[in-house]
Amino acid sequence: MDKKNTPLSKLFLLIIFLILYAPIFFLIFYSFNSGGNMNHFKGFTLDWYKELFHDSRLLIIVLNTVLVALLSSLIACIVGTFGALGIHSIRKKRPKNALLALNNVLIVSSDVVVGASFLILFTLAGIKLGMGSVLLSHIAFSIPIVVLMVLPKLQEMSPSLIDAARDLGASRWNVVTKVIFPYITPGVFAGFFMALTYSLDDFAVTFFVTGNGFSTLSVEIYSLARRGISLNINALSALMFLVTMLLVVVYYFISQRNKSSRLGVKK
Amino acid sequence: MTNTIIEFKNVTKQYDNDSPVLDHVSFEIERGKFYTLLGPSGCGKTTILRLIAGFTEASVGDIYFDGKKMNDVPANKRQVNTVFQDYALFPHLNVFENVAFGLRIKKLKESVIKQKVQEALTFVNLAGYENREIREMSGGQRQRVAIARAIVNEPEVILLDEPLSALDLKLRTEMQYELRELQRRLGITFIFVTHDQEEALAMSDEIFVLNRGKIQQSGTPIDIYDEPINRFVADFIGESNIVEGRMIEDYLVEFVGGRFECVDQGLNPNEAVEIVIRPEDLEITTKERGKLKVKVDSQLFRGVHYEISCYDEDQNEWLVHSTKKANVGDEIGLYFDPEAIHVMRFGESEADFDRRLEAYDHGDAHEQ
Repeated sequence: MDKKNTPLSKLFLLIIFLILYAPIFFLIFYSFNSGGNMNHFKGFTLDWYKELFHDSRLLIIVLNTVLVALLSSLIACIVGTFGALGIHSIRKKRPKNALLALNNVLIVSSDVVVGASFLILFTLAGIKLGMGSVLLSHIAFSIPIVVLMVLPKLQEMSPSLIDAARDLGASRWNVVTKVIFPYITPGVFAGFFMALTYSLDDFAVTFFVTGNGFSTLSVEIYSLARRGISLNINALSALMFLVTMLLVVVYYFISQRNKSSRLGVKK
Repeated sequence: MTNTIIEFKNVTKQYDNDSPVLDHVSFEIERGKFYTLLGPSGCGKTTILRLIAGFTEASVGDIYFDGKKMNDVPANKRQVNTVFQDYALFPHLNVFENVAFGLRIKKLKESVIKQKVQEALTFVNLAGYENREIREMSGGQRQRVAIARAIVNEPEVILLDEPLSALDLKLRTEMQYELRELQRRLGITFIFVTHDQEEALAMSDEIFVLNRGKIQQSGTPIDIYDEPINRFVADFIGESNIVEGRMIEDYLVEFVGGRFECVDQGLNPNEAVEIVIRPEDLEITTKERGKLKVKVDSQLFRGVHYEISCYDEDQNEWLVHSTKKANVGDEIGLYFDPEAIHVMRFGESEADFDRRLEAYDHGDAHEQ
């Protein structure tokens, strides 16, 4: 099975990646265009970026987006981890599978449906649309993701670890904090990052539940694009792309460090 | 002061409406001895261990620890520690922290923890491995970390759940010696669970043989090997030749068409019994001198001895362990001493069985 990659297969891979990344690089390329449109490149400029940083409204939106993402992922992480613990502790197969299925349905169901139903719920419950409603809905759609990332770690953990901890005198709470949490931490982190990315780039759900005066980046870009093409959007998208890449790199290093630190001395 | 540390009184464990895993089990465990719970998988031996540790609760019956009822004492409040089959070492902690786990829960001083962990690790020959990660330890070393983690808490009883089953044969034999030695040095009670009868015979002061949720027989390894109470025990412990017979009168038993002198007495005349003769008690001799005439069917070389399978005229199989070789197809004689015959009554309780054996000893003393 140790076949060498032929030049043709390498070329194929190259073309695929070019096609996938071309639109993004095209967009970034024109964010440096002094021409003001995407038809032809006139000259290099950073004006669009300058304009972006002078637009305080946009900066507030960026802050809002990040805040909502961090808060919602954090809360979803806590709720989701306990949810996974709960599902894991169920002995009987049928209710366990039923709960898991309910969890998974939330992940696969269409964002539009989720968004619309949240809108109806918030309106019925009398919750004012704005940051609160966006935060609530983001927490809600992040929880199933966290559950799904944490559960495999719990399942891979030998049940005798818990017995062993009890045997050595640990109370139930000690067992959770000293044995279970350290064991599932990688899963919780993965869940947090997943929730973060889902929240950062969610458009559909947010679009439904965001009121006047509150907006997130994806919703803002959408409304900017509807008003007409401005290279502002390009600059903003380029920055977002950069941040995403940074996140990926950071995540990579964290996971690398986790692996290597197990080899060395650790307290 | 009584020497009993753990006592089971009529303990039954049953899940839902299945047949009970443990069926009215009663026994006592004394301080400072090495006990083995021996039986095939599903016999209830691990359930007994889990009941003592407190991981599961008895459906019926009481469990006493040091004279106090401990049915409702949670696992973390019991003075027993367990060595698990998969060792159950915490993968996110290194060797030192694994051993220190119980001490940290007790919130002991850092200096005390350090000293105790060092002592425990030295005890199991792992000094210098404190900073190793569990992943870097071999199977035998993990085993020892698990033991150190148990003994560092200075429990009165250590429970071992088939701790040697994951090791290879050579290491397993080594660890048998080490465990036995460790128990002697510590002087605390070990309760060891295994399905390996050789392991049980080699290590224990006392063996409980279990089957289908009941204790079949308890006693020293020699008692159990030499005087099995029933067909199950005879079959499970060591190799056995078991045939049906009839007790004609005291000291005379009939089986496979012959009458033989034996040392058993006190049974009803003409009572149906089962006869056990261990393969190593059968001696190959000529057809004329043998008490049994058999034909050699097959032969295996086992290293220390040959295992020879023979059949008599009634097609009963006779297994012989002999250092001498036999020829397949030969007709040979088998000789055995009267003491080699062990007579088992059907459905005899352990108490009756013990009483009967005791009567023999008195009988012998009387004759002398």
